[in-house]
Amino acid sequence: MIVSFKVNGRQVDLDIDPRKRLLDVLHDDLQLISVKEGCGEGECGACTVLFDGQNVNSCLVPAFQADGHEIVTLEGLKKWPGFSTIERAYLEHGAVQCAYCLSGFVVSTVAYLKNQTEQTVNEDQVKYALAGNLCRCTGYTKIVEAVKDLAEHEKLKELFAEDWPYER
Amino acid sequence: MKPNPKDFRVDALSKLRGEARYIRDERILGLWHGLTVRSPHPRARIISIDFDDAFNWQNVTFVTAQDVPNNYVAMIEKDMPVLAEKIVNYVGEPVALIAAPSPELAMEAREHLHVQYKPLPFIDDPLQAEQSDIKLYGSNNVFKEIRIERGDLDEAEKTADKVVELEVRTGFQEHVYLEPQGMIAIPENNRIVVKGSLQCPYYVKNALNEIFKGLRDITVVHATTGGAFGGKEDFPSLLAAHAALLAYKSGHPVAIFYDRREDIQFTTKRHPSVSKNKVYVDAEGKLVGLDIEFYLDSGAYVTLSPVVLARAALTISGCYYIPNVRIVAKAVATNTVPSGAFRGFGGPQAIFTMEMIMEELAQKLKMDAHRVREINLIDEGQTTATGQVLKYSVSNKQTFYDVLERSNYQQKLNKYRQWNEPILERLKQGRYPKRHPDDVLKGIGLSVFLHGAGFTGGGENRIKGKLRIEINDNGQPVIYSAQTEMGQGQQTAFRKILADALAVDIEQILLADVNTDLVPNSGPTVASRSTMVVGSLITDIGQEMIKKFLEELKQEYGFPFEYRTGYFYGGDMVLPFRQVAQKHAGLIFEKEYRHPPFIKFDEQNWKGDAYPVYSWAAAVAETEVDPITFNIKVTRYYTTHEIGKAINYDQSIAQIQGGSLQGIGYAIYEKLERQNGHLNVHGFVDYIIPTTVDMPFMDIKILENPYPFGPFGAKGLGELPLVGAAPAVVSSLRMIFSLPINKIPVMPEDLFELAQILRKNGGQP
Repeated sequence: MIVSFKVNGRQVDLDIDPRKRLLDVLHDDLQLISVKEGCGEGECGACTVLFDGQNVNSCLVPAFQADGHEIVTLEGLKKWPGFSTIERAYLEHGAVQCAYCLSGFVVSTVAYLKNQTEQTVNEDQVKYALAGNLCRCTGYTKIVEAVKDLAEHEKLKELFAEDWPYER
Repeated sequence: MKPNPKDFRVDALSKLRGEARYIRDERILGLWHGLTVRSPHPRARIISIDFDDAFNWQNVTFVTAQDVPNNYVAMIEKDMPVLAEKIVNYVGEPVALIAAPSPELAMEAREHLHVQYKPLPFIDDPLQAEQSDIKLYGSNNVFKEIRIERGDLDEAEKTADKVVELEVRTGFQEHVYLEPQGMIAIPENNRIVVKGSLQCPYYVKNALNEIFKGLRDITVVHATTGGAFGGKEDFPSLLAAHAALLAYKSGHPVAIFYDRREDIQFTTKRHPSVSKNKVYVDAEGKLVGLDIEFYLDSGAYVTLSPVVLARAALTISGCYYIPNVRIVAKAVATNTVPSGAFRGFGGPQAIFTMEMIMEELAQKLKMDAHRVREINLIDEGQTTATGQVLKYSVSNKQTFYDVLERSNYQQKLNKYRQWNEPILERLKQGRYPKRHPDDVLKGIGLSVFLHGAGFTGGGENRIKGKLRIEINDNGQPVIYSAQTEMGQGQQTAFRKILADALAVDIEQILLADVNTDLVPNSGPTVASRSTMVVGSLITDIGQEMIKKFLEELKQEYGFPFEYRTGYFYGGDMVLPFRQVAQKHAGLIFEKEYRHPPFIKFDEQNWKGDAYPVYSWAAAVAETEVDPITFNIKVTRYYTTHEIGKAINYDQSIAQIQGGSLQGIGYAIYEKLERQNGHLNVHGFVDYIIPTTVDMPFMDIKILENPYPFGPFGAKGLGELPLVGAAPAVVSSLRMIFSLPINKIPVMPEDLFELAQILRKNGGQP
């Protein structure tokens, strides 16, 4: 079947096997290798992508459901000027280890920062925002610290408002 | 706290940008997909393997035991077949392999391959293994028995004021590296190249060399590895054999990528343990004797169980001085997936056992849990159960006192006891336990632990790890080692060690890709050995390099030079390291590891220096238990680790955070049981690991008491954090209920049962 959707700002039209998951199409067919399979059952979050601006597990989305929608993966986030700030926070906090889970965390981080409206940041909010992403190396502390720092970053809010290169 | 920019990881940016290529991200033209046909029975005779005529087998390759040139996976022994031939010995044991141009076709082919079995009786209780009529190994199903004896237990019995007996159990644990196992084999003329997610390239190479002896040469290449924790130490030898056989027979490159379900059910686990313990103490609570019978449930084949057992036996009594000891430890066979390497490697089971002995003593002697530990802590100059005199870098007491003080242990202990009293009273009376929504039971507990760095006993001297450093055309030293990056920060640590040894920037140092055609066998990336053992070769070569360049400069200019902070000074000349090194492009330095000569261990009698040195730690855990749901939450976790020298301070903290949480998971979340020979988990839905919401507040401190023979004084770190987390958590739960809890994992239903005991007996067990 033919599906048409936007990936990282580019329109794609693909003839796909209807049994395929969005994860397979992104990783195997479109070579977006940041999208990792960790469990295939929506528990670990390694395959997290933005689906119309919301973070979802791409292993749980049949590819045909993307028809007419907008998908953004880590590769697409790199086109946004705010990405270097996110990257720097993870780097400076030492939050990177084996990193198989990492692109999922970064996508969930962006989804949280983009959608959060509260004035003050509390640690529990950050933890709940990342609770759908499993990591076995870091014990999460450094990741949560990095995201807490980012949530207090005034400039990022501007970069979301003015320079976000996608529709949603 | 943000790290010093010098500590930033060298692999961080490519990973943050999603550009690092893991094995599933490889693009190989004409790649076929392999899958494994597995036994559905814990033990059975294979009657026949039939290939359905209705299916077109032309485009598909299959492999059975008949196709395997030498059908064993060489590890410590050669008992494990690559593919079962006549008998299967565990649920999931590989029986046949199928490869096809697409995963869908391979799966279709599997439906047309029929294996007939005759189920046989099986062993599923490690305590029954020795007496069983079913023989899985030798005459009594014991893969390995170790006896460590010291002093005289009869004497201990005579002088003891009290004898305490208890049984301790620990469960399976799954590694849960986020990247499931994966391997690709590529046939090339007379060679098979295997690339995959793995820890120990030379283990894989050796295993494949034996399977393909005289038929094919083997090259093993390490791919970016998404976590391992020991799970990619021994198992990849089997997986690589499967991929290589399919490639060998089909002539195509073949990938085998496990999904999570296959990975969690059919790859190695941490050995469950059961122990029967008898401990003798004097009136003050000092240990006078310890008598332990310790079993590791090792699964169907030997794999690494004898060495896991050795580490467990050598670790059990490690933190305490005990004059009379008898440890009888056995690794026994059951019809279960083989247990294997897992961060801590017998240490977590051993430390949990010993710490529960201390808890039980405290309870029976009506002493505080920290007090009974305090008076028994081993110190410098004292001897361990194997007669090893602790000489270097002994910090048992320092870590203990530091963590008690930082956590405000004593004060909180008193406070929480008072706090819990009315809630416990209501539980005992069978009344509704909460007056306020925040009426939760508060626990505080502790543990004391250690980890021997490097291989057990004479292991390092046997393996003789070799390291090579070459100067490239740009004057940059390139480190050639078989050590692998799996997330722990090895690449950053190695470059930093040489950069610091030469006093140059980390960018000046390069690391060769890990490929067995390029790098020497510096030994496996296991046993917390990379930094201490291989790292010491790096600093040694660094010094040798400077010495060599100083000699060459003297020869060239006719006057002596001196090396300081990255520059050679001589006469009125100042030459940067790189400029001098560039003149020696192509120069090679090599070194082989040996323990310092006074480190001696007798493996027949288990006497002597079991490890050259130990890393020490202590932890305090605080927990909250809801008195209605009995849900357990670890709220705060304090730990002090003494590791000689933190090569990369920030990533050392990161190791401790991650290892501690993995240990907390081992204590209260991760339950995996055997039911009728089958493991009862299927993925992350029923095997629960901690999430961000479950993480406690962590307060970590590193102490540095340098080991004279490690690089800059460094000892091992990787495994230590996991080793003592579970007993600290369980200690806090025992503090709440004042009742024995001698097993992990502890689940809410276990605490509910304790509450029932409180209710029935007013608190008496």
